[in-house]
Parts: sequence; structure tokens; C-alpha cells
Amino acid sequence: MTRLVCPFCGPRHLREFEFHKTVAAADAGAFARVYERVASTELSVEHWQHVGGCRGWLEVRRNPSTGDVLEIHLVGGGGEA
Amino acid sequence: MSAIVIRRGTRLREQPVRFTFDGREYLGQVGDSAASALLAAGVRAIGRSIKYRRLRGVVTAGAEEPNALFTVGTAPAVIPNVVASQLAIADGLVLRSQNRWPSLKYDAASVLQAGSGFFGAGFYYKTFIWPSWRTYEKLIRSLAGLGEAPGSCALGPVAVEHLSCDVLIAGAGAAGLAAARAAARAGARVVLCEREPVCGGELEFEAGTIDGRPAADWVTATVAQLPTLGVRLLPGTTLVGGSGGEMIAHTEPGGLPGTNAIFKIRTRAFVIAMGAVERPIAFIDNDRPGVMLLGAAERYLARYGVRVGAELVLFANHDRAYATAGRLAAGGMRISAIVDTRTAAEVGAEPLRAQLGRAGTECLLGHAVLAAEGGATVHGARIASLAAPDRARLIRCDAILVSGGWSPAVHAGLQEGGARRFVAELGGFIAAGQPDWRTSAGAANGRLELGAALADGHAAGVRAASHAGAAGSVGAAPLASGDAVPRLVPFWRSPASLAGEKRQFIDLQNDVTVADVRQSLAEGFVDIEHLKRYTALGFGSDQGRLGGLIGAAVLAEFRGEPLADVGTSRLRPPFHPVTMRSLAGLRVGAALRPARRTPLHDWHAAHGAVLEPMGLWLRPRYYRANGADSFTAGIAEAKRVRTTGGVADGSTLGKIEVAGPDAAAFLDAMYLTKASTIRVGRSKYMVNLREDGMVLDDGIVLRLAAERFIATTGSGHGLHMLSHFEHYRDTQWSGSAVTITDVTEAWAAIVAAGPKSRETLRAVLGADWHDALGRLTHMEFATGRYAGSELTVLRASFSGELAFELHCRPASAVTLWEALVAAGLEPYGLEALDILRVEKGYLVGSEINGQTTPEDLGMDALVRLGNLCVGRELLDRPAFHEASRPRLVGLRAVDGRGRFLAGAQLTIPAAPNRPVGYATSTVYSPTLGEWIGLALVAREHSADGTVLTARDPLRDGDSVVRVVPTVHFDPASERMKS
Ligand SMILES: [Zn+2]
Repeated sequence: MTRLVCPFCGPRHLREFEFHKTVAAADAGAFARVYERVASTELSVEHWQHVGGCRGWLEVRRNPSTGDVLEIHLVGGGGEA
Repeated sequence: MSAIVIRRGTRLREQPVRFTFDGREYLGQVGDSAASALLAAGVRAIGRSIKYRRLRGVVTAGAEEPNALFTVGTAPAVIPNVVASQLAIADGLVLRSQNRWPSLKYDAASVLQAGSGFFGAGFYYKTFIWPSWRTYEKLIRSLAGLGEAPGSCALGPVAVEHLSCDVLIAGAGAAGLAAARAAARAGARVVLCEREPVCGGELEFEAGTIDGRPAADWVTATVAQLPTLGVRLLPGTTLVGGSGGEMIAHTEPGGLPGTNAIFKIRTRAFVIAMGAVERPIAFIDNDRPGVMLLGAAERYLARYGVRVGAELVLFANHDRAYATAGRLAAGGMRISAIVDTRTAAEVGAEPLRAQLGRAGTECLLGHAVLAAEGGATVHGARIASLAAPDRARLIRCDAILVSGGWSPAVHAGLQEGGARRFVAELGGFIAAGQPDWRTSAGAANGRLELGAALADGHAAGVRAASHAGAAGSVGAAPLASGDAVPRLVPFWRSPASLAGEKRQFIDLQNDVTVADVRQSLAEGFVDIEHLKRYTALGFGSDQGRLGGLIGAAVLAEFRGEPLADVGTSRLRPPFHPVTMRSLAGLRVGAALRPARRTPLHDWHAAHGAVLEPMGLWLRPRYYRANGADSFTAGIAEAKRVRTTGGVADGSTLGKIEVAGPDAAAFLDAMYLTKASTIRVGRSKYMVNLREDGMVLDDGIVLRLAAERFIATTGSGHGLHMLSHFEHYRDTQWSGSAVTITDVTEAWAAIVAAGPKSRETLRAVLGADWHDALGRLTHMEFATGRYAGSELTVLRASFSGELAFELHCRPASAVTLWEALVAAGLEPYGLEALDILRVEKGYLVGSEINGQTTPEDLGMDALVRLGNLCVGRELLDRPAFHEASRPRLVGLRAVDGRGRFLAGAQLTIPAAPNRPVGYATSTVYSPTLGEWIGLALVAREHSADGTVLTARDPLRDGDSVVRVVPTVHFDPASERMKS
């Protein structure tokens, strides 16, 4: 995983992106969002920003065991790549 | 120095080269490695071992060499731990042996022999415990470490090349060449790296035929053909690591760091054809100079015409030993005996054995070498039948050549994790469960026989090309015949008594013996990863390629479990040592990171400012005209601001413009207090919280228009706050009408502070601004023009004085600044700024440190306003209201004179060793004439007047301080509002 495919900019080197956090379930309360994020070996849902490009915020779904990126789209929907 | 005897080998030219080793001059030939030239000169002992200081010789002909590591060069370009077998000699090259003091021959520490018990397994863990550490520190420091780190190192520049290809192949032996040819024919763009300076791998010496012609001819023809197929060939280049399809390869011409290049290779598919590493067998004193790998002897003969001994004993567990023996004999070496651990039923190689027997070689089946006899070099091999190991006899020889089989080079495939599979007929592991873009081929995949390796390489090339979308016609795989299948029967160590196990070496570089494995297990370190940490097995430049598997096998033996279940320790990059200088590549010195400079940077530099980095920014710390050091200059500058006034460059403050119909509502959610209540033309001091309730940043928010704001941030925080705002705008506030723009560099900021700031500004800005400057109340701003350019004047203060922030366009910043200086406002730097703000109890990153809530910082009133912002909900956590939470307080010395410094730990008399807080910021206040500070102290001990001890054992010692209000000076802020 040294590339991410930005929905706007296309495949770009990982160094253009900044990892922000793993994302909790949408219905999680404030405490759970911060303190009860569960690390899964199969699926990690993460927020990344394309700081070296369009500055878009991306939701990246990936498998931390294999490093495979399963899906990338803009947070808040749209622009699926 | 004796007259040179010209040797002939595949890599040699008949041209002499002079170099020195430990001060003595030697002659070699162009093409020689340092190891081959020294072996040819009859040098056996080339260094001492790291722990026991035993004399060691060359063991391998490859990068996995554990012993022959030299310090190369003369000061200042000295490089330790250069692998002699990979280092090409050159005229004037200066080599020194390592791990010996004062000389190789007489080493003061060689009394620490194996078996003496001084340096047992886990030695460091047992000895590095206070107070015994003090006893041993000096001795250990003089001995520890592989080689010696150079104090400074003037290595030359490193070229960095980025390559992109469809198929990257590591290794240009039989399998790698077949893979490259197939992939290129299929239409793929191929890059082929080879660690050695020449291609061919084993085919450099292995007799065989490929497609009906001698194997060596096939190699020559294929290497010539590859460039015509568009293959980029990188000889002398080692793949050292990588991940996810971006691999890093490193080339050192002649194996010498300092004149090298780094390749960053992006590839769609990756074929690992890095061959297999021959492994030794452990027996007593198997580390003596003269004990060498069988394949190494064959390589030294073929490549460099070096005979590693005159009378040899071979010790092996496979058929290939007999083919090699035939080639060594043909090269003029006498083979006294071949000691084979296998039984008659397990052995093949019938005609070869008979032929060797006729030539006078004893072929002993079911036997083992129990010990190497000799001193500084081998004199004989003590051998015995495995059925009767106590009835040993001595065979005289001057070299013992060992081969315990081959371990596939799986490193490159497993550095990112991934599985491996035990293969019984190899007695070793191959990579398994690889992602579809990565594949092993040839010996690296366990295919040791030439025909199988070529077929495997060809198939891997086709598969890799097709993964990259190239599926052209490739033709048939090469057909070949070479050395027979090895018919290997795993054998790891010869029989030995418990005492003998202390001299059965399994990891030569780290001096790990069979006895260490036994001890590790006895002390509860049962897992292979435990064993590695406890004994250092598998650390070092060879990363366990030579001894790692033997260690695992011995552990398996002691645990009574199959090797397949014990496994080997996790593999990590780099595959081969790389200097930090190479990895840094072009990113050194000024190119390390970008620099951000304010529009006034050149003025500061020209006027004696001492600049200090802050994030990517450089900011004036003080001006030399005001004092010789930051302490005196800072005091002078701060004093002047309080008496008359001064100007400071505030351009590094982050400025983010937030605009749109939803801007006010959005900012309400971003800050602890509401932005929507700010009137146009006014501003407010506001703080941001993180999601977990901690204070993230603070700054002033200006409302330029109903739907337009500028939020200022801390100097190092601009980019982070921009991302923070954008994140919430795009997640929770997605769909809202807000634009967020970084305008940090669109506005320069000049702070004019002090009692005379208003009248000076009136003089400089002219009549247009006269009334506005009088009218502006605290936190109010006005916009207008100065010298034809836009100007915003905000009345705000970070010093406690009457002060104005002037936001102007960068192009007019110098003009405005120079006018202010000419009108009498002298510049002041960060040091003075710090004094002024601590006197007033204002906060910086020392207090807003990511671990403090608004209540910790005394902002209870702001929290009580009840604005529902990001992070607000979690402020109600009970843990944030416990008596042990910190509280921001002021500090002063009880005697009014003592000095105490930021970082000092604060204790109460009842618990002198358990701090209840620490000083976050301290300054000497010229206004108050004493040291003052801010501190975070547990709430239960934060009451005004509480006496604490500021403990600072490494600097000032202890001083007695008392808790005071955070605002040390002008608590009613009368000066600021004047
Ligand atoms: Zn983008």
C-alpha cells in the first residue's frame, strides 16, 4: 500500500496523504467515538486527507492484515474510485 | 610483500592492485574482492568475534558473510562493517580489522573466550542492572558493538533514481534471467537487479547445459539479449527493502558505501529470484579460520582462482558436495575426505564417488566432523561415525569445507509479513501465501536443480507479466541439465558433550552457540522470537541468513518438536546494511525540508536577528544589538516594550478565512465559545477543543463581515488547524455552505506594542488613521489603506501593553516595518515575547500541550457558557474533574530571589519523590525583578499560597516556590485598555 487512488486526482503516492484516524460507527456516542474504537484485523475504516493534492477528505477502507485497499470514497459520500 | 602470482578467474584481470590491511600492504588483482585478495595472500585470520574475541576467518563468498567485516577508509570518510566479500579492492584502499584492541594478534579481551562463562546468553539483561551496571559499564562500552561508529563521516552525495516498471526481478541467476526473458518477451517493462557485479549466479561455476549449449554461454547470450528486449539491468545492486510494490534497491560501486545510488522502483509485479543461502553445520570450534562454506570455496576458485586450502576435508549432507569436490580437485586442491552424514541408502552420486575414491579421497558415510583442530587456523578435522561418536580420529587438513544445505532467500517476500511453508526435502522454509503480485522463483522458491529453477523462473516471468497486463508470446522455457538433485537429509549439528556445545557456533556474527540455545530454553525463553532477543541470534548485518535456521533447528531439537512448528523469527528490512547517508538520499542539509520565511525575513537577517525554527518557520529570537545572548537581549527588549514600545513580526501566525452563509454556525461548533455573537468589526479570543475535550489551539477570531471571518492560529498550528476545519466541514457539516481558505501567507502581521504604540502609529499611518486609532477599543479592528495597500489594524495584546496587530499585504510589510522602526519602535523577538506573556499569564504550547482541558487551564467561565462545540460533551467526564487533574497556576520563589526553570518537578513536603505538577514556563521578569513562572499543579495542591519544592536535580537543584495567581503583572489590565 504505497498508493491511494484519490477520487479526484487518481492514483497518487502515499506521501501525498495524511492519515487522520480510524472511524467509529456512525451511531457511536461521543465517548465511544473517541475511546471505544475497535481495531479489526480484517477491516479498518479510516479518514485520510489528500493534503498534497486536492485536500479532499477520504474514507479509506482497507485490510490491515494484507495492506489491501478495499474502497476509497470522499467522506460524506460521492466520488467513488 | 612477495612477488605476485597471477591468478585466473572469471572476475579477474591480470592487473595488480595495492591495498593495505591493518597497516600492511598487499597485492591483489583488478576484480578481486577484499576477501579473495586476502585469502590469495594466505591471510586466514581477518578479525575477532564480537563477544568472545575469537579469531575469525572468511566463511562465505557472499553478502551474508558474518566475519569478514572491515572498517574502510581514512578519516573523515571512515565506514565500519563493510562486507569484505562484496568489496572490490582498489589501489590505495585502506582496510582495518574490527573487534580487536589493541591489535588483531593480541586482543586484550580475548580472555573472554567461549566457555569462560563471562558473556553467557542474556548477559546484558542480567548485568545491566543498577548498581552492577556501574561496575561493568566501562569494560562493556569498550567492547560492545560491531565495529566502531565513526565520529563524523564525510560521505559523498547519493544519487536517487526513481524507476517504474511492470515487473521487477531481484536476482539474475538462472531463474531470474529466465524470468526476465519471459516477462520481457511477453511485453512487460522489466527491471532486473543483481547483487553481484556479474549475472549468472551459480552458473558462474556450475557445469551444465541449457538449450543444448554450455550454461555459461547461455548466460552470456541472455544477458546480451535482455537490453534488446527493453530490460533495464542493474548489476551490483541489492534490493534492501520495500513495501506494497515500491521497492528500494541500493548500489555501491565496488561494494563501498559513499559513492552510491538508491533506486526507488515502483513495480506492478515482483519476482524474487535471490537464490538460496548455503548454511553451515555446527561442530566444536567450527568458527576457526579455515572452516568455510563449501560453496564459498568453489566461488573463490572459479571467480578469483583462489585455492582456500591445499588439503581439504568436506563435511556435507547432500549429493552436490561430490560434484563440487570434483571441481575443487580439478582446480588443484587435494581432497582428503568427504564426511557425509547420510547413510548408504540415502546417498546418490555413485559414479562421482567412485571417481573421487580412485583419486584418493576417503568417502565416509554416516560420519560427521566433531571438531576443528588447530589454533589460529585449522590443522585437522576430528571425525567419527555417527553410530560411534566417541571413537573419533583425526584427519589432517588445512581447511574444512562445510555444507548443510541451502535456505531459500525468502527475506524480500516476507518483510511485509506473509506466511512461509516448511519443505522437508530442503530442510527449510519457502514463502507461501504471497499476494498475487509477488512470486518467488528458482532456488528462492526451493528449486535447487538447474532445470527446475529455469522452468520455475520462466513460469514466474510469464505470471508476473500477465499480472501487469502483458500477455504476449514468450516461447518455451529453457531446457537444461546441471548438477543432480541434492538428495539432502537435514543435519544441523554434530554430537557434542555439554561442554562441547559451548563451542558449537550457530551464529558466528553474534557468537551464539548451541549452549546458548540450551540455556535460553532452560531460562524460559522457549519461542524462536524469545531466543532471538535473548541470545541475539539473527541480528547483525547477515540478519540470520547464515545461522538463523540452525538456531531454530537446535531449538526444535531441544524442544522435541519438528522444525516446521518452531519456525524462524520474523524477517525485517533492510536485507543488507545500508548507510543512513544513502537512505537520506537528497534530503540532507537545506534540502531536508522546505523553509517558510516571513516577508520580513531578510530584514531580520540583515539586522542581527538570531533566528529560531518553529515548525517550518524561522523566527527572530532576539536581536544581537540588544545583548550578547538571548537572556540579556530578551530582558532588554521586554523592558523597552513596557517603557516605550516595540515591534514584532507576527507573520507566522496562521490565518484561516472562513466564509459563507453557514460560516458563523460552523465556527460556533469549532470553538468553545460562540463566533456568531461577535459583531462585525470586532474580534474575540477563542479556543478550540479536540474531539476528546483537550484544548487544541487558541487564537483571535475576527469578524470581517456577517459571513466572513478570519481565524488566527498558533504559529506552528496553521496547517493542522486548516485540516481540522476542513475535516469537520466535510464530515459532520458536509453540505453546509462554508469555504475555508488558508490566507496565512496572504497577510503579513506586525505587532506594535507599548505605551507609545498609538502615537507612533498615528505618526506613521498618517491622518487617515488618526481617529480610528483613538476610537478602537480592545479587540476591535479597522480596515483601510496604507501606502496604497490594504491594511487591517486590530487592537489586541499578547504583552499586556496597549498594542495593535497590523495585517498588511506581504509586499508592503517591509515599508511599514521600517517606518515603525524609524519612528522609534525597536524590534523585539520571541525571548522578550515570552517574558511579556508569562508576566501576563498568557498561554503557549507549553500549557496548551494536548493534555490539558479548558478547566485545567482556568477557563471554567468559558465552559460554563454552554456552547455545544466539538469536544464539549466529553468535558463532563468525571475523570476530568478529579482532584488530581492539573490546574494552571503562577509560581514565584518564596524568597523572591531564587531561580527555577521550566521542567522543574513540583513536590509537596509529604511526598518529596512524587511530583504533583511541573513548571511549564519560567522567565526572569525585569519588571518584577524576580523569577516567575506558570505551572500545572494537581488541583488539590493548587490553592494560592501553597508552598511547593521545585526539583531540578540536573540543573539548578531544589528551590522553594509558592503558588500565586497566573497573572503576575497588571492584573486589572489597565495598561492594555489605556
Ligand atoms: Zn486528491
